[in-house]
Amino acid sequence: MITAEWKPIEEMVGYLRGHKKVLVIGCATCVAECAAGGEREVETLAPLLAMAMQNDGNPIEVKSATLERQCEPEFLEAISEAAADADAIVSVACGIGMQLVAEHYADTPLYPGVNTTSLSIREEPGLWTSRCAACGDCVLGLTFGLCPVARCAKSLQNGPCGGTRTDGMCEINQDTPCIWRLIVERATARGRLEDLTKVRPPKDWSNSPAGGPKRMLREDLRS
Amino acid sequence: MANNSTADFQPQITLLYCRQSLAAEVKAVQGNRAGDGFSVRLVLLPCSSKVQLPHLMRLLEQGCDGLQIAACPEKACQHLVGSNRAEKRIARGRGLLEQVGMGAERLGLDRGAGLSLDDLMEMAGQRAEAVRALGPNPMKGV
Ligand code: SF4
Ligand code: SF4
Repeated sequence: MITAEWKPIEEMVGYLRGHKKVLVIGCATCVAECAAGGEREVETLAPLLAMAMQNDGNPIEVKSATLERQCEPEFLEAISEAAADADAIVSVACGIGMQLVAEHYADTPLYPGVNTTSLSIREEPGLWTSRCAACGDCVLGLTFGLCPVARCAKSLQNGPCGGTRTDGMCEINQDTPCIWRLIVERATARGRLEDLTKVRPPKDWSNSPAGGPKRMLREDLRS
Repeated sequence: MANNSTADFQPQITLLYCRQSLAAEVKAVQGNRAGDGFSVRLVLLPCSSKVQLPHLMRLLEQGCDGLQIAACPEKACQHLVGSNRAEKRIARGRGLLEQVGMGAERLGLDRGAGLSLDDLMEMAGQRAEAVRALGPNPMKGV
């Protein structure tokens, strides 16, 4: 899922000064799963913003809504009346959903209520950890299903950096396992350690975010 | 109009209490009661684990001065970890209330078993004392 985290409320207060009618919107998909932007979080944030703005000396009227998905235009119609009535929107969906709302309701300023942070799994209750960085040239087939792009602090492709801690954790973050240690362990368990010594073709980074904005075109699906 | 004078401030407390925390012979009560220097609205919960941040924040947005949760002792929760989860949510809620300038003390959780109505009133009174220094909820009358 795409994960996001609330921005500091102080930052949101800064955005909202001068506004009077604010609509807080969430998304019932990824950001609900990571407890940042689902209905529960929207209904927590909306009254908190009302209180924060009251205490800031800039009272606002706050309305709230949670869309099924904020990244599909069909679902945005559900807030058309509320958006027309608001003079600002705070979205706690991911950056994708936020931008679609900003485009759809272009006359109303949209402010982010979250920072979009990663493509992660929920590893344990209350703990989300990265799994993918959308690199555009997946190497999971060569690394025993463990991603060295998203899960290595240096995105190393040919083995560990040499700094792996003695307990097997990453030298950059002691709470994160060294992914190359896990790759080696899985390769060993499968009796395929030799595979990791094979020379691989260079990875194609041109299809990653570093290659500029992505534009994916499928002629067969176009009208 | 909100009463902004701290001297004659009579905190309005909402106390949400777990049914299981009452003594067996005590009849569950709900509704408004007057305490000594404060008033309280008693709300019965089937378990303290039912408290969620949206409910708590809405109650404060609507102007109550303080919110008190009465939960069972740690090992006595009928849902095993329900009251622990409630406690963690309350801790997060308190942090958020501090961030928005309302003051963490507007929200609190205490545990107890075999409680009487007087015990609940005492808990509400303690919350009232904790919010007294913060003054009336600025959302009152908004
Ligand atoms: S190799 Fe690239 S596409 Fe595959 S999981 Fe890692 S970041 Fe994602
Ligand atoms: S310790 Fe492992 S995960 Fe961390 S930077 Fe080095 S190779 Fe990457």
